[in-house]
Amino acid sequence: MECYSLLRADVPALIDHLGKFGEVVAPHRKGDVSYSFESVLDSSQVVLDYNRTLLPLKKLFLPPVEKLMDFSLKNMSFDPVELTTQPRVFFGVHSYEMQSILRLDHSMLSGNAESNYFKRRKNSRFVGISFEPDDFHFSESVGIAIEEMEGFDLFLNEIDDDFQLYVLSDNGRSLIQGFKQIRTVEAELSGKREFKKKIRYHYNRLPRIFQYAYKSKVWADVAEKCVGCGACTLTCPTCFCFDVTDEVSVTAEDGLRQRTWDSCMLSTFAEVAGGENFREKTINRTRHRLYRKFKYITDEEGLPWCVGCGRCTAFCPAGISLPDIVNELIQEDEKAQYHHTVRV
Amino acid sequence: MKPQVAFFDFTSCEGCQLNKLNLENDLLDILKHVDIVEFREAMDDKADHYDIAFIEGSISSPSCVERIHDIRRRSDILVALGSCAVNGGINAMKNLHPIDEVRETVYGKDKYLFATLPAMAVSSVVKVDYEVRGCPMNQQDFLKLLIALVLGKQAPKYNSPVCVECKLKENECLYNRGMVCLGPVTRGGCDALCPSFGQFCTGCRGILSNPNLDGMLEIMTNHGISLDEAKKRMLLFNSNEVQL
Amino acid sequence: MKRLQDVKAKEARDLYYPTMCKVVGARQITDLEKWYELQMPAGQDLGHEPGQFVEVSAFGIGEAPISISSSPSKKGSFELCIRQVGTLTNVLKRYEQGDMIGIRGPFGKGYPIEKLLGKDILIIAGGIGLVPLRSLINYVLDNRKDFGRLIILYGAKSPAELLFKEEIAIWETRDDVELHITVDQPDESWTGNTGVITTLIPGLDLNLNTTIAAITGPPIMYKFVIMSLKSKQLNDDQIYVSLERRMKCGVGKCGHCQINGVYCCQDGPVFNYTDIKPLEEAL
Repeated sequence: MECYSLLRADVPALIDHLGKFGEVVAPHRKGDVSYSFESVLDSSQVVLDYNRTLLPLKKLFLPPVEKLMDFSLKNMSFDPVELTTQPRVFFGVHSYEMQSILRLDHSMLSGNAESNYFKRRKNSRFVGISFEPDDFHFSESVGIAIEEMEGFDLFLNEIDDDFQLYVLSDNGRSLIQGFKQIRTVEAELSGKREFKKKIRYHYNRLPRIFQYAYKSKVWADVAEKCVGCGACTLTCPTCFCFDVTDEVSVTAEDGLRQRTWDSCMLSTFAEVAGGENFREKTINRTRHRLYRKFKYITDEEGLPWCVGCGRCTAFCPAGISLPDIVNELIQEDEKAQYHHTVRV
Repeated sequence: MKPQVAFFDFTSCEGCQLNKLNLENDLLDILKHVDIVEFREAMDDKADHYDIAFIEGSISSPSCVERIHDIRRRSDILVALGSCAVNGGINAMKNLHPIDEVRETVYGKDKYLFATLPAMAVSSVVKVDYEVRGCPMNQQDFLKLLIALVLGKQAPKYNSPVCVECKLKENECLYNRGMVCLGPVTRGGCDALCPSFGQFCTGCRGILSNPNLDGMLEIMTNHGISLDEAKKRMLLFNSNEVQL
Repeated sequence: MKRLQDVKAKEARDLYYPTMCKVVGARQITDLEKWYELQMPAGQDLGHEPGQFVEVSAFGIGEAPISISSSPSKKGSFELCIRQVGTLTNVLKRYEQGDMIGIRGPFGKGYPIEKLLGKDILIIAGGIGLVPLRSLINYVLDNRKDFGRLIILYGAKSPAELLFKEEIAIWETRDDVELHITVDQPDESWTGNTGVITTLIPGLDLNLNTTIAAITGPPIMYKFVIMSLKSKQLNDDQIYVSLERRMKCGVGKCGHCQINGVYCCQDGPVFNYTDIKPLEEAL
């Protein structure tokens, strides 16, 4: 693997250099204790050590609110939105985040491939960065190492406070072409970083757990604490559900149709015009959320649809922990297995 | 002919009416759709029939009851405007205390001179067709309803929590800033105005239907306030809606 | 897993733009239901299968999934029948001949006609369930020799709520259609069957090996009808149901119509009963 050393102090210069390719998006401070992906205006403001951004990178491919068309009520006609996209470099992306984009690709491009998503996704370059897991990260448990480099063009691995820069694709190579503040070194993949939060089983054993967990008592325990605010799903990097609404201007002559992120945790999500609600109780909705992550798509694609970023847990006001739920289901399953095993 | 529209105020601070006058940019567009025939804050005129009557304030005295019945009779569509009208709002806090005690506190020895009732939502007295929630009522919300009525479209209903709009705007959660916020169980539609400016949600748009109130109280007490204080916060705008 | 590099630029499409269709016929057929005949631009056909649906669009209001009520054998136009229960459908009732309505679709899976050929077709329609089933009925009637018996069970709340009365009158006169109608709440003039639709099933004389049942109705109806059919010894794979869910996009993206792991808008709305029987959220 092509590998260079890069001093921490030279990272802003690298970010400036990446700007030659296009718009650079990177993590920035937000509020008191949070982070968000923003367009880089001043490379010294980019944060290299962060736990997770409030919203996932998804927001830049599938925006929280997106105009689909303008329409005229007078003429009963509409104007399509002509989306033009510029080249973008996403800098300082964690491995689980990259993996979530690859999963989102499948969700938005399989079956009916969506053009707006496709256009935003094309001409994107990704520069990864290693991270120190906090109390909420558990991506290793879903098969994503900190140094997982799939999908990245470049990757910055922090070693002794400075970085090793790995070149992972031709696109990556051309991104750093002409950048002088690096020198060739031998790659040493650090293995010192430990995850504090873990799911007890290997992820390939989880589909079996979920096969028998549908009527588990755990769902009712979760529903007792859950207030249905939707924070878990709205901040989830692999969730992609949306609603479509029409907004009419004050003149009542024209307006626009837009789509907005929606959440299956909201009580109205599965309600039809006649009033029937197909997932009326919180218990049904919390279960649906986890089955979406570990069973339904997983059965077809062989991968958990959770990347272990820890957002749903870190941002849940009620402190509901996704890995804890999974661990409780595992424990319940073990009890059932134990109970039914003949002991000799 | 354009719909004849009127505005009336009951027990309230009239802030909602002022909020409408602040719609300077859109007022002229609104007047293309409707004729405003009664609006105490802006003009002086009377009519026998209204296509749409907007009601601000809660119903809290026998004379209020009489007046709202009279307005209902003259109106095709009646809209409750703002928290006080929609669910009694802040005024309904008085309902948590014995009415006699409340009268004595406010009027002292003259308490028998002033008839009073528990502060009620307009809908507990007459049929309300639509509502615009919030304290004060949200301007955009009001405009959307007006457009919906002009187009014959059903008014937007808000039964998703404030958290949704907060998340879409990528606001830092106020719980992460050590505050206790009612966003998780409060009806959205306000574009998460308060949390966006660092102010916790006080629940002015009312509590969601089928809320998990015990879960919410647990969240609040887990974030450092007493159960008593948590209940008080939840009741601030929702004394008539929430049983704690 | 689908990867970005596997997708060609021309495969990625604008999925959310409607085609503007002209209303060439519109009639209120009951207090709640209105019938529309629509024409695609430039004389195109919609190209649907019986049982599929479209997303109907009214600017300023939004979109709603609506079943196609005409048979694909009818060329030049297609028909919808819309019950006024929601925001959009209440506005649609104002649309008259000459107006334009936005249409996306057809979407989903309809009835697998090739599997139905040569079979006896047992239609079981509750209330507005007749709307999508009318597409199948008329397809069978237009290709009558390709199918065995056509048995239609139709239940409505009251005689006033019966849909497509003129067509029903024609079906009644045909000797190649076996029609049984029932209402829950009869009026003075009603002389037919009274009771829920399941009461029509025990009396049927079905050819067990050749019958295919197609059921559409309110959510509560399915369990009971399927129970009755099972007691007539019909196999699970001889039963098709069409399910209603909230569908915003119609193209398997928005997530609203999910029934456990299945997208109603992609894998349905018409399902073979064997495919949804294991799904807890289906019926």
